[in-house]
Amino acid sequence: MSNPTVHEIKGTKDDLNYVSAKRPVHSDPSPDAKPLPKVTIDGKTYEFKPGDTIMEVAERYKIHKEIPRYCYHPGLPVAGTCRMCTVEVEKAPKLMTSCSTPAGDGMIVHTSSEKVLKSRNGVQDFLLTNHPLDCPVCDKAGECKLQDYTFQYGPSASNFKEEKRVYDEATTKLLSDKITLNMNRCVHCERCVRFTDDVTKTHDLVMVNRGWHKELEATDPALGLTNNYQGCLTDFCPVGALTMNDFRFKKRAWFLTKKPSVCDRCSKGCNIEVHHDEDVVYRYTPIHNEMVNGHWMCDDGRVSYNDIMNPSRVISPLLNYENALHSTTLETLLGDLKNKIKASGNVQLVVGTDSTREEAALLKDKFSDAVGAKVNVAYFNGTNGVSTSKDDMKMDHLLIMKDKTPNTRGVEDEGLTALAGNEANADIVILFRNGRAGVPKLKSNQKVILWGVWNHDELKALPTTNILGVIPGLATMEKAGSFKNGDGIVQKFHPAINHRGGAVAAHQVVGVLKSLT
Amino acid sequence: MELFDVAQLMAKIVFVVGLSLGVVPIMVWFERRGAAWMQRRVGPNRVGPFGLLQPLADVVKFIFKEDFTPGNANKFFYYMAPMVALIAPLCAMSVIPFGSTAIVNGHEITLQIATMDSGVIFILAFAGLEVYPIILAGWASKNKYAVLGSLRGASQIVSYEISMGLALLSMLIVYGTFNPHEMVSWQAAKYWGCVVNPFGALVFWISIFAETNRLPFDLPEGESELVAGYHLEYGAMKFALFFMAEYVAMIMASALIATLFFGGYGLLPGMSFLVNFISTNFGFGEVGMQNTKAAFEVLSLISKVAFFMFMFVWIRWTVPRFRFDQLMDLGWKILFPLSLINLVIVTLMVYVLNK
Amino acid sequence: MGTINVSKKYTAREKAYIPAILIGMKITMSRFIKGFFLRQHDTILYPEKKRDYSQRFRGMHFISVDANKTENCTACFLCETICPADCIHIVADEREDENNVYGVKKEKKPISFDIDSLRCCFCGFCEEACPKDAIKLSRNYELAVSTREDAIYDLDHLKRDVKGRG
Repeated sequence: MSNPTVHEIKGTKDDLNYVSAKRPVHSDPSPDAKPLPKVTIDGKTYEFKPGDTIMEVAERYKIHKEIPRYCYHPGLPVAGTCRMCTVEVEKAPKLMTSCSTPAGDGMIVHTSSEKVLKSRNGVQDFLLTNHPLDCPVCDKAGECKLQDYTFQYGPSASNFKEEKRVYDEATTKLLSDKITLNMNRCVHCERCVRFTDDVTKTHDLVMVNRGWHKELEATDPALGLTNNYQGCLTDFCPVGALTMNDFRFKKRAWFLTKKPSVCDRCSKGCNIEVHHDEDVVYRYTPIHNEMVNGHWMCDDGRVSYNDIMNPSRVISPLLNYENALHSTTLETLLGDLKNKIKASGNVQLVVGTDSTREEAALLKDKFSDAVGAKVNVAYFNGTNGVSTSKDDMKMDHLLIMKDKTPNTRGVEDEGLTALAGNEANADIVILFRNGRAGVPKLKSNQKVILWGVWNHDELKALPTTNILGVIPGLATMEKAGSFKNGDGIVQKFHPAINHRGGAVAAHQVVGVLKSLT
Repeated sequence: MELFDVAQLMAKIVFVVGLSLGVVPIMVWFERRGAAWMQRRVGPNRVGPFGLLQPLADVVKFIFKEDFTPGNANKFFYYMAPMVALIAPLCAMSVIPFGSTAIVNGHEITLQIATMDSGVIFILAFAGLEVYPIILAGWASKNKYAVLGSLRGASQIVSYEISMGLALLSMLIVYGTFNPHEMVSWQAAKYWGCVVNPFGALVFWISIFAETNRLPFDLPEGESELVAGYHLEYGAMKFALFFMAEYVAMIMASALIATLFFGGYGLLPGMSFLVNFISTNFGFGEVGMQNTKAAFEVLSLISKVAFFMFMFVWIRWTVPRFRFDQLMDLGWKILFPLSLINLVIVTLMVYVLNK
Repeated sequence: MGTINVSKKYTAREKAYIPAILIGMKITMSRFIKGFFLRQHDTILYPEKKRDYSQRFRGMHFISVDANKTENCTACFLCETICPADCIHIVADEREDENNVYGVKKEKKPISFDIDSLRCCFCGFCEEACPKDAIKLSRNYELAVSTREDAIYDLDHLKRDVKGRG
């Protein structure tokens, strides 16, 4: 087993919108190097790389109070349309937008002077003229930038007495089957337009009309949004204009507890934040990680929590008794299975490539010993026609990979071999998977033992009905472990939620198997 | 005329016992409504006119309650206690004279169930018996609160029986007899006992409150500290017997104090005029006049008893409960010396006056 | 340091005890006479006559409805959030278009809205938090129920017709 560098997934305290794309700079240690230029922000002097904007310098050094922004996003090109990030620069005639003004040597910047605060107050006042203030209904409430900045900088009452603008058709409009647009709430920051232009390069969205009637519209209204990263629109939309149908009206943002984990939907291994309330997961959002996924994640991964939260998931040990599966205790089930495995002597354990590195090592080294019989161990992928990591490839220019399991390379590292011919034929076949890997070819009366994350629909779809038993296992976000993704980066994660059913970790199952006689 | 004697005796027993037990529901109703009136409340007013049928509803409830027995209880004494509690005061009632004589079919009938010369001693004996149900109930039900209640009850009744006995003794010296009939006639001829011996009357009256476990001396029950005291483990009709016994004891005590100190069945002022007036106007003979007089005598005793019953209720809802040490102080340090001194003074007075 | 003696020296009159009892008996007798003859009492004869509590009294909850008998609630969960007793449970869903009389303001609705009145402490925070003035506490104080299930007010019960504040 190789020992690569392990990167631990860490949650960010900050909102996704604040994570800077660039790392802190350090001055060149060589004595004759040219000194870096310096900028003074709020009375403190910082070094910076030539070309950095004021916003980037402030972000890098985490100045005591963040500069508010709507249109600036570290993963998107600078637009400078919202005017919220204006700061006072001495000797400049007007307030400057910090997101687009490059820092200069000797520049003195004030981010919260009276003038700046007055400007922000005015910007808020203008943004709120047409905002419907339907926070009770809006899913963004609680994580909304407009709310936050109104509390911090905004006027307590509006000067706008006239009737508010209402977009009749775009009040609740489906941009695709995943995204709903509410144009009334929009603050016209155009992050979404820049995202489709520069990140996904699908040019799905466009702003039509001008001024009072400015409106977000799909470029081809008949097609709507076509990219695979639509969920990101709801992440960075500062207000509730773009909301995801999958999460719409499910839960208010402030009830959600956020824990870091890794997406196991493909071999990219995007860093995610699991948003759950009382161990019921409501959504995934990406965590910024420049090495892996940047700021984004794909839609398939984003809604993949539904597989784990599936009501038909098997979460109690099932034992075959008189040709029907019955719920039982783990000890009863394992005792029965161990006797059958011992009696058979010809057993094949198929480890899905969605198991963690630790599980793969455990099953390879300890399983035969635990059941007291020789067991052949092989791995199997079976997604998208991928069988080994050599078949893996990028499916687009961003994140999506062909291999739909997270740990093919990690399992290979543990010394397991691929299942020959994608066909499992032994007396008893044990299928260990995490709900992502495929099922190998099986004979129609093949005896199988299912282990890991399964749901009843999958049980019915199996080619064989001769299921000896089902050992429920923990899903990725319920357990600790590490994955090696398609790019060779090893990422370690901890349980994001507690499993509340009868599923147990693989090492516990092996321990019980070993203790049974 | 054996049969006639038995019949008149039975009639007297039925009259006395029926009256004593019949008054209980009325007293229960009056106690609750009276308390309500004194406390600016309404009281039970839903069952029947003015809530008069409330005791009936109570009885129905008592009958249909579960008749349980605590598992560790001493069954024999546990069942005996409420019976003794009711029977003792009823027995004591038998020597209270409720009239002089009535004449039926030429036979003179003494209006007293058991005519005996030692009547007052008999009453004292049965009044002393009242301590037994309390001790038995508390001990037999095997409950620590009940035992505490019964201990309190025993010491309280024994303590106050002394001053009560001394007060009674002073009156025996005044009257020179044990026979209740003669006491009544002495009072009718001279003065009421309370005029002759006011201190004795006061001591006797206070002692009677303690004897009957009425507020302000209801420490054996002591709801606030002993849950319900000696009858804590009693339910259904067994509790109802205790409940009735309390009122019968009150009636007995009222009759006793009326007989000893307030003229007994002797006619109230103005009543003798009424008797004469009715007898002459309706043309009653000598027999009729005697019977009319007897009727008024019964009425007189009943009204005196009613007055003392009212006093029981009135004082109950006025005076708060004593602390136990205060109770014992009152009994041993005040009433006992007072009654002792009173006895000496009365004895001296009687000796001097009779000389 | 030391103890403070708060015991009082009683006068001879107070020590005698009887006069104080007589004063007390005078009071009870006067009350008895007033109660018996004049029928004076402070009791409210409850089922026939009801106490009129103040306008601020907080009793059984209700949800106000509009002219279409549609609840004003938009399932914003603010009451569930503020509730210190954790007694409100809401499940939200999209409101169908035909009920959507006010356009955007009512696009969300509660499909179930349960208040466990046994847990509720009637603090009125939900009423304060509600941005739509939907949940209110009426002046109805007759909250007795026969079963624990009846004590959980569902949406149908909460939408009952209440005039003013009841």
